[in-house]
Amino acid sequence: MRKYLTIFKINLLNSLAYPAELVTRSAMILLFMWIFFQLWFITFAAAGSDVINGLSLRDTMWYLLLAETLELGRPRLARVISEQVKDGSIAYLLNKPYNFLLYQLSSGLGESLLRMGMLFMVGGALVWILAGPPPNLINWPLALVALVGAWLLHFCVNALIGLSAFTVEEVAPFEWIYQKLVFILGGMLIPLDFYPAWLQTIAKSLPFAYMMYGPARLFVQPDMQLFMLIVIGQLLWLAVLGGLLVQVFSRGMKRLAINGG
Amino acid sequence: MLAIQVTNLTKTFRSKRKAAGLGASVQSLFRPEYKTVEAVRGLSFEMESGELLGFIGPNGAGKSTTIKILTGILFPSGGEVQVLGYVPWKQRQKLSYHIGTVFGQRPQLWYHLPAIDTLTLFGRIYEMEDRETRDRIAELAEAFEVADLLETPVRKLSLGQRMRCEIAASLLHKPKLLLLDEPSIGLDVVARQHIRDTLREMAKQENVGVLLTSHDAGDLEALCKRVIIINHGQIVYEDKVSTLKRSFLTSKLVEVRYAGQIPADFHIDGTEILKVAKERYGVKLRFETRITPVEKVMAALSAAGTLVDITISDPPLEEVIAAIYKKAENRE
Repeated sequence: MRKYLTIFKINLLNSLAYPAELVTRSAMILLFMWIFFQLWFITFAAAGSDVINGLSLRDTMWYLLLAETLELGRPRLARVISEQVKDGSIAYLLNKPYNFLLYQLSSGLGESLLRMGMLFMVGGALVWILAGPPPNLINWPLALVALVGAWLLHFCVNALIGLSAFTVEEVAPFEWIYQKLVFILGGMLIPLDFYPAWLQTIAKSLPFAYMMYGPARLFVQPDMQLFMLIVIGQLLWLAVLGGLLVQVFSRGMKRLAINGG
Repeated sequence: MLAIQVTNLTKTFRSKRKAAGLGASVQSLFRPEYKTVEAVRGLSFEMESGELLGFIGPNGAGKSTTIKILTGILFPSGGEVQVLGYVPWKQRQKLSYHIGTVFGQRPQLWYHLPAIDTLTLFGRIYEMEDRETRDRIAELAEAFEVADLLETPVRKLSLGQRMRCEIAASLLHKPKLLLLDEPSIGLDVVARQHIRDTLREMAKQENVGVLLTSHDAGDLEALCKRVIIINHGQIVYEDKVSTLKRSFLTSKLVEVRYAGQIPADFHIDGTEILKVAKERYGVKLRFETRITPVEKVMAALSAAGTLVDITISDPPLEEVIAAIYKKAENRE
């Protein structure tokens, strides 16, 4: 366990080696939250109501902040693994005494922890000014648990896409499709509550809702029943995707061709 | 005891073949054509523990592929392999505690962090006590003369400095076997010599076996006792380095530059002029050391004018391999 903690720490250190990237990402969330606010301010005004499908403008903005924090802060693992396969540096990662997937997990956590913290604070300051104070502190622990589950689901899907680099040359298209599915069916651009009922049903039976909507919704309106539903859904999808990941990795190893030399 | 035992090893890669042009690209989407590349073809060899074995051959000969199979990161297509008693691709993690690797063309040290951070991380990964890691780092830093470089971010080190740190890192967990894939690539003569000397010293002190691939004949002259030359995935030569030197590395190349012009009929007995530099300020020649002693050539060269620069080198490995082939053909 100690080695994975050290891997986590060195990645945390390494993310500090790129202060410019941290600042750029933080500037990005400011821009996004500003645009979202303009959009939803007009929408709520046009609807002539303070609450749409149970969410107020303030709720919507804090919902979107959490979703954006996760989206911009999660590690770009698919790209990382496929780069490691392409440039051959994966050779060094595979010949060390650790589990490769746990290595990627700890390094991804180290990479994104600081980044997500920064994004949340910078974006949160703006949302506070524009839309009002953050949700009640009682909401936070439930949202945090669901956030961890969502992060892990992202990890599994990303790692699966990354590992496909063992067999296909370019993984960017898969990554693009996955990201757009999260945007739409995960409720990243629009909270799922604003969708018609039939589309909500579809979205909630797919993993994407548990990767974005779950923690964001719990953050603004906690509800024990919703919490249980989301956590159980996350655990189920983690079992499916995690199991698939382990399978794909051990099969992929047999097929791996390392570039160069 | 055998450190490495390889029997009939084969590895084939399948890669997509695509002709030029849009039409062919579209066609390859629907009906891809594959070509099979046989990187390793029926390789068999053994290596004693503590041995210094050179594994050389031109680019694309199958050296790196073999090394990657030996470390367990590539699955072979056929054959049997045992490294320190383990089957690498089945017992990759167990094996990794006992071997060290350097792939010369890729860094394993974290680029933006000082080497000491990577070394500490490796200590944890190999499950060493912190104290043990610290002592070992100090020991290696002294041997490779990198003590004052460890705190500098790796990106600011020169290639030679970095490579010394890389090799030190590969020895951190006191492996029994070191697999070095082109450790001297891109290094200048001085850095190369430094690394060779330290490696030889460390290997002797700690009884580490070293399997080294290179396409530089000088590397194995300086480091190895035995050499295996492979080409097209097969062994073309296997013997002591001294024998190889005696029978194939018999000629030297010399390149000299003079302060003034050399005469048009410049000539030194017992040498063959390969090239005369532009404006006749220098010359490149080759001679057989068995026929013409080195000191005789040197004396004649310095007597011919004021020397500005001089480089002596071995003929490239490709020529050595060509010579080995020629000899094998003559015998048949």
